[in-house]
Amino acid sequence: MRRSGARDWPYALFLATVAVSFILLSVRLVELQVVKGDYYRNLSSSNHIRVVSRPAARGQIMDRNGVILADNEPAFMVSIIPSEFDTTTIDLVASELEMEAQQIEEILDQAASVPHRPVVLKEGMSVDQVSGIAENQYRTPGVIFDIAPLRRYNRAEDFSHLLGYVGQSDDEEAYHGEVVGRAGLELSLNETLRGTPGLRREVVDAHGRVVETFESTESEAPVPGRDLRLTLDASLQAIALEELTATGMPASVVILDYTTGEILCAASAPAFDPNQFARGITSAEWNVLLNDSLNPLFCRAWAASYPPASTFKVVTAGWLLSEGLVSPTYMPDPCYGSYTLGGTVFRCWSTHGRLNIVQALERSCDVFFYRCCQFGTLDGLVAFAARFGLGRPLVSELVGEKSGSIPGSEDLDALYGVRGWGLGNLLNYSIGQGELLATPLQMAAVAGVIASRGSMPVPGIVMGEESEPPLLSGGNLPDATWDAVSLGMRNVVAAPRGTLYSVFAGSPLEVWGKTGTAECPGENHALLIGFVREPRPLAFCVVVEHGGSGSTTAGPVARGILETWLCGEAGAV
Amino acid sequence: MMGRDRPDLLLILAAAGILVMGLMTVFSASRVVVEEGLFSKQVLWTAIGSLFFVAGTWISFRRLEEIAPFFFAIACLLLLATLFFGSGPADRWLVLGIFRLQASELAKASLVLMTAWWLSSLRVKPRRMGELLVFLTVLPAVVLTAIQPDLGTSVAMFLVVLSMFIWAGYGPGWIFLIVSPVAAAISSTSFALWLGFTAVLVFVLFRRKATVMGWILIIGGNSLVAALTPMAWNVLEPYQQSRLLTFLNPAADPHGAGWNIIQSEVAVGSGGIFGQGYLQGAQKELSFLPARHTDFVFSVWAEETGLLGSLLLLSAFMILIWRITRAARKSVNPFNSLVASGVAAYLAIHVFVNVGMTLGIMPVTGIPLPLMSYGGTQMMVVMFLLGLAVNAGMYWREV
Repeated sequence: MRRSGARDWPYALFLATVAVSFILLSVRLVELQVVKGDYYRNLSSSNHIRVVSRPAARGQIMDRNGVILADNEPAFMVSIIPSEFDTTTIDLVASELEMEAQQIEEILDQAASVPHRPVVLKEGMSVDQVSGIAENQYRTPGVIFDIAPLRRYNRAEDFSHLLGYVGQSDDEEAYHGEVVGRAGLELSLNETLRGTPGLRREVVDAHGRVVETFESTESEAPVPGRDLRLTLDASLQAIALEELTATGMPASVVILDYTTGEILCAASAPAFDPNQFARGITSAEWNVLLNDSLNPLFCRAWAASYPPASTFKVVTAGWLLSEGLVSPTYMPDPCYGSYTLGGTVFRCWSTHGRLNIVQALERSCDVFFYRCCQFGTLDGLVAFAARFGLGRPLVSELVGEKSGSIPGSEDLDALYGVRGWGLGNLLNYSIGQGELLATPLQMAAVAGVIASRGSMPVPGIVMGEESEPPLLSGGNLPDATWDAVSLGMRNVVAAPRGTLYSVFAGSPLEVWGKTGTAECPGENHALLIGFVREPRPLAFCVVVEHGGSGSTTAGPVARGILETWLCGEAGAV
Repeated sequence: MMGRDRPDLLLILAAAGILVMGLMTVFSASRVVVEEGLFSKQVLWTAIGSLFFVAGTWISFRRLEEIAPFFFAIACLLLLATLFFGSGPADRWLVLGIFRLQASELAKASLVLMTAWWLSSLRVKPRRMGELLVFLTVLPAVVLTAIQPDLGTSVAMFLVVLSMFIWAGYGPGWIFLIVSPVAAAISSTSFALWLGFTAVLVFVLFRRKATVMGWILIIGGNSLVAALTPMAWNVLEPYQQSRLLTFLNPAADPHGAGWNIIQSEVAVGSGGIFGQGYLQGAQKELSFLPARHTDFVFSVWAEETGLLGSLLLLSAFMILIWRITRAARKSVNPFNSLVASGVAAYLAIHVFVNVGMTLGIMPVTGIPLPLMSYGGTQMMVVMFLLGLAVNAGMYWREV
C-alpha cells in the first residue's frame, strides 16, 4: 500500500489547486456580474466603450552642449471614428477643417475594415483652428479631437538632412495617430525616439459624447521616447550652413574631432525645413521641394560621393612612404607637364619640374604620383586606402550613407573583363580619379586619420554610445610616413607655392590642408580636406559642387567656417 | 485481486452536461457569425468525438503503452509539418485533404501519454538522470509549438508535464529545482527577488542533502542564468526588446487583444446574476465580442445565463476534474494512473486559462475551452482523453 499511500498528497494537492482556481474564477465572476453588473449592463445597452490611443512624445534631440534641436509642442489632432460618424455631416466637418469632402471620404474608405478605430483627419492644429470643430461636436458624432505632441525642429534648416523628419505612419499595424521617422536620424533611431503610446478607454453615449473614462487595471499613460544627445555642435553647424549657402552652389562640409571621432558638423546646402513634414506637408510644398533643380532633400555630406581627386594624394603618399616604395627625399624624373604610358597621355595641371614627395603634395603634382605609383600594385593601394575608412559606410545611424567605391583588381575584372584594364587605372587611382569615389564624410575621416597619426576612433554622431570606440585604421605606420604627409599638407598652406597659400594668408590659425579638383561634366567639383590642431583638434572636408578648383571656392569656405567658429567675429584666437 | 468496475457515471454526466451547454452556446454564437453551418458542424464534431470517447474506454492500456512513443513521434512530425505547410489563423492548421488538423492539440494528448510512459518506466527501472531524459523527450513538442508561435499552448504543455511529475510523487523541492532556471531569469530583475530566490534554492538543496557536485551545478548554473539574463537583454536592440515583449504579452498590443478583453468583460458583466436570457446577448448580437464561438465562448454563455449559468458550468468542470483525479488515484497501474492525472491537469489548466482570459485575469492566449469551444481536433482529442480517464478508473487492483 506504500504507493497508494504515497499518492495521497499529490491527490490532495491536485484537488486543492483546482478548488483554489475555481474559487478565484468565481470571485472574479461575482465581481463582474454582481458588484459591477449594473454598470456593465448599462454600458452594453446604451453606451459603449472606445479605445483611444494617446501618442507618446518623441524623445528630444540635443546637440553636444544640450541645445535642443528637436522637441515637441502641444497641438491638436482631429480624428474620426468611422462606425460612429454620420456621413451627412461630412460637408460641415470638411469646412471646419478646411478640407475637401472628397478627401474625408477617401480617408473613410481606407479605414472601412476597422470601423471602430479612429483615423486621423488633420493634425498639428492650433487651439483656434480646432475651436470650430469643438463647438460643432454635438452635431458631428464620431469626430473627436485629441492633444497630440507635434514634432518641432528648432534649428530647422541647419539639421534638416541629419535629423530628417517624421510623418504619420501608413503601416496597417500602426496605432491611431502614430508618428514615425521618415528620414534621417528620426528614421534610423525611430525605435529609440518613439516611446510607447498610452491608452484611454472612454465610455461614450449614443451622441458620441464622452460620459466617463473607463477604469482598467492596465497602465495607460504614454511613455515618452528616449532623449538623444548628438556629438554635433549647433553653433558650428549654423556657421557652416551659412558659409555654404553663401557660395550659391550645392555644397557640403563635414568637421570632426580627430581625437574622439565625434562628428561636430555635417552640413549640406541647400537645405529644407523639416517642420513642413511634421505638421503634414501640402502637395504644393512637396512639389516645390521635388522640382528644385538643386535637390535640397539630398544630403551631400554623406549621401553623395565624388571622385576625391587630388585630396586622395595624401593616401597615395602615405602608401608610397609606408611601403618603402619611395623615401621622403626621393626625387623621380621631373614633371614636364604630362606623362605618357603606352601611348596614353596622362596630364598634369602644371609643369612642376623635379620634386620630392613633400613638394609633390604641396604643389599637387600629378606626374610625381604617376611615376612613383608604378613601384607598387593597384591592390596594394586599395588595401591601404581601406585603412582610412574608404570604400565602406562609417556611421550606421546615417540613412543613405554612401560607401564610396575603390574597386580592387577582382572588381575591375568583373567590370571590364580580365585584362580589360591595366596600369593606367593605377595611375588614375594615384591622383584620386578613375573609378574612385568617396563621400565628404569619408574624406574628412582621411584627414582625421592623418592628423591623429592613425589613432582616430571610428566616427560617430551619438554621444556616449560606446565608452571606447574602436579605431578606424588598423595598424601603425612609421613615424616618418606621418611626418612627411603632414609636412606636405602643412606646406600646401604655409609654403608660398602651396595651393592654399593665398587662401589662408594672414589667418591666425595653423592649418594643414590638401585641395582637389574633381573632373566632371560642366564646371569641376572643388574639394578640400585638412585639419587644425589648435585651439581644437579638428579634421574637415569641404566640397563645393561645380565650384571650379579646390583652392578658389572650397578654401575660402573652410577658412570662413573655422575662423568664425574658433576665433569669433573679431578674428582673434 | 483484479477487477473491472462500471464506468464512472458522474464523470460521464458532467461531461455530457458541459457538451450540451457547449452546443447551446455555439448555436447562439453562430447566429451572428458570417460563416454558415458552424452549429451543424459542431454537432458532427460532437458525434465523432463520442466515438473517440468510446474508443478511449475500450482501448487496452497495455497496447496504448506500447504505441505511446510512436504516437508522440508522429505528433512531433505533424508539428514540424505545420511549421512548413501550415495555413489558417496564424498558420496553425495542417490541411490534409478535407481535414484541417490542429497538430498542437494532437501533440498535447501524445505528450500526456509519452510522459506517463516515461514516468511509469522510471518507476519500474530507475535510471541516472532519468528525469532529465523525460524533459529532453518532451522538449521537441513544446519548442515546436512555441515557435509556431503559440507560446500559450507550449506553456500549458509544460505545466501538464510538471503536474504529472507531481502526481508521480516528485516533491515540491524537486519541482522547484526543475523550474529554477526560469525563476532565476525572472529574479534577475531585482536584487531582493534574487536574494530570496537563492535563499529558497539553498534551503531546498540543504533539505535534499545534495552532493557537492549538485550544489556547484545548481547554484552555479542558476547564478549564471541570473547574471546573463540582463546582459542578454541589453544586447538586444530596443525594437527587438519590444518585439519580444509583444510576443510574451500580446495583450499589451493597444488595439488588438486589449480591445477583445474589454468587450469580453463587458459581455460577462452585463450578464448579471440571471443573464440576458438565452439567445439574447447584446454584446454578442452587436458583434463586439470577438471569436464568439471559439476562444471567447465562455463570454457568450456568461452574458446569456449570468452568474448562475456560469457557476453551473464551472461546477460541471470541477466535478469532471475531481472524478478524473479520483480515477487516477484509484487506478493502481502507474501508467494508467499517470495518464488519468495528465488528463485532469490538461482540463484544469485549459479551463482556468481560458475562463481567466475572458474574465481579464489571465493573459490572452489561443487556448480553447475544452468541450465548449468550436473545433474538431480539440473535440476529438479531449473526448478520447476523457474516454481514457473513464477507462483508467474502471481498472483497479487490491494488493
